[in-house]
Amino acid sequence: MRYEWLIPAAGFAALAPQAQVALCAEYASVDAAQRKAFPEATAFEPVIVAPEAKAAIARDAGRFVVDPKVWRVRGAAGTQGWFIVDEVVGKQELITYALALDAAGTVVALDILVYRETHGDAIRLPAWRGQFTGKRASDPVRLDTDIRNVSGATLSCRHVTEGVRRLLLLHERALRG
Amino acid sequence: MAEVANDEVRRAQNWLGTLVEIRAGGAARNALDDGVAAGFAAIAAIHRALSGHAADSELAALNRHAAHAPQRVSEHLRRVLACALDLARASAGVFDPTVGGALSALGYLPPPREPPAPASWRDVELRDGRVRFARPLTLDFDGIAKGYAVDCAMTAMRARGIAHGCVNAGGDLRVWGAAAETVHVRTGGPQGALLPLATLGDAAVATSAYGGQRRSSGGRYATPLIDPRSALPVMSTRTVSVIAPTCMVADALTKIVALSGARAARLVAAYGASAAILTPTRGRWRCTTLPRRAA
Repeated sequence: MRYEWLIPAAGFAALAPQAQVALCAEYASVDAAQRKAFPEATAFEPVIVAPEAKAAIARDAGRFVVDPKVWRVRGAAGTQGWFIVDEVVGKQELITYALALDAAGTVVALDILVYRETHGDAIRLPAWRGQFTGKRASDPVRLDTDIRNVSGATLSCRHVTEGVRRLLLLHERALRG
Repeated sequence: MAEVANDEVRRAQNWLGTLVEIRAGGAARNALDDGVAAGFAAIAAIHRALSGHAADSELAALNRHAAHAPQRVSEHLRRVLACALDLARASAGVFDPTVGGALSALGYLPPPREPPAPASWRDVELRDGRVRFARPLTLDFDGIAKGYAVDCAMTAMRARGIAHGCVNAGGDLRVWGAAAETVHVRTGGPQGALLPLATLGDAAVATSAYGGQRRSSGGRYATPLIDPRSALPVMSTRTVSVIAPTCMVADALTKIVALSGARAARLVAAYGASAAILTPTRGRWRCTTLPRRAA
């Protein structure tokens, strides 16, 4: 075991450079996540889901936070599956995640693409919120605002589970067949 | 997947009720991808076996049946239970994996089928890979199962030649490799802050930040930390971080230190660990480390 405390043996701890904690991490682009889930795919075709179908799902499983983006995954032997990018609210900010389903609607992969979270007073400041808009996977991730190596941060993914439930309903009612 | 450094793969999935992040480096790109996938597969297996939240987990089945007849358990469950019972014995019940009943009463876990009678870790018998409860009770491994999952992910990744990496399951994290990494701690409560905590080479760290995670119970706020001696939730604003050889032990020790404070120093040392207690004091965080080291 190799380690060294950075806090004093007795006394007061120093604050990290940014005392207001905003955490943001980008794990994968949509492209990369698609290739990872379906390495054999020949094409990803965008699919439009009828608003009525989404409204019906909202009644049964809660509202969509954003319009989920849906792709039909084409392989050599026809439809290989489905790839859906959706967002849910984490603690305060949106979590972007990707769900990959095979042709029968079984979950092949579920990956977090972007995780954003703010704390304390930060959420009331528009400037803090603004830093999350327009973020793409190609943007560099700043260590100070990154969730890497943070202990004690129980990052909320509860709503991802609810989001997945909605997307599975979406597949069953609007995509299958 | 998105790369942070040139030779690093970083991915996140949700398991164990939290965001699990895995980073891997020091191998060829394909090997890194395979290693990260193996790490998540290991975590998924622990999630399915030991989740206190899923009604179809091995742990849930054990909780339903072990009071009626001895149950054979998987190697994962056996290891975590053995560690939990060791810690319960060594801490004289300050750590107790049977406080699950109190947690479900507070709404942190789904309720068991039959309400548990007052029970403790002494009612749990583990022998030859079989478990029997002396009375109905609810085993809950929540934190230490998370730590164990992190340990298993690291083992799986190292076996695939991942030279350095980090597995972080909602703050229970383990780092390995040549270069030491800086770890920050997020403290709980209204004073929640991000503090540089330690540099880790090969080590695990876990944190319990109770002030930040509260739930209303009968009109009062309760933390998810239960004092097994009173079966009541603890009202604490302290944040406790423990560095230990394994993440499973680190997680369990955070609870013991949070309840016992400096009295836990000998136990922390016996497990080859080191603890930090952070207490909010007039807008700042006062630190104490166990066992005591020179200032």
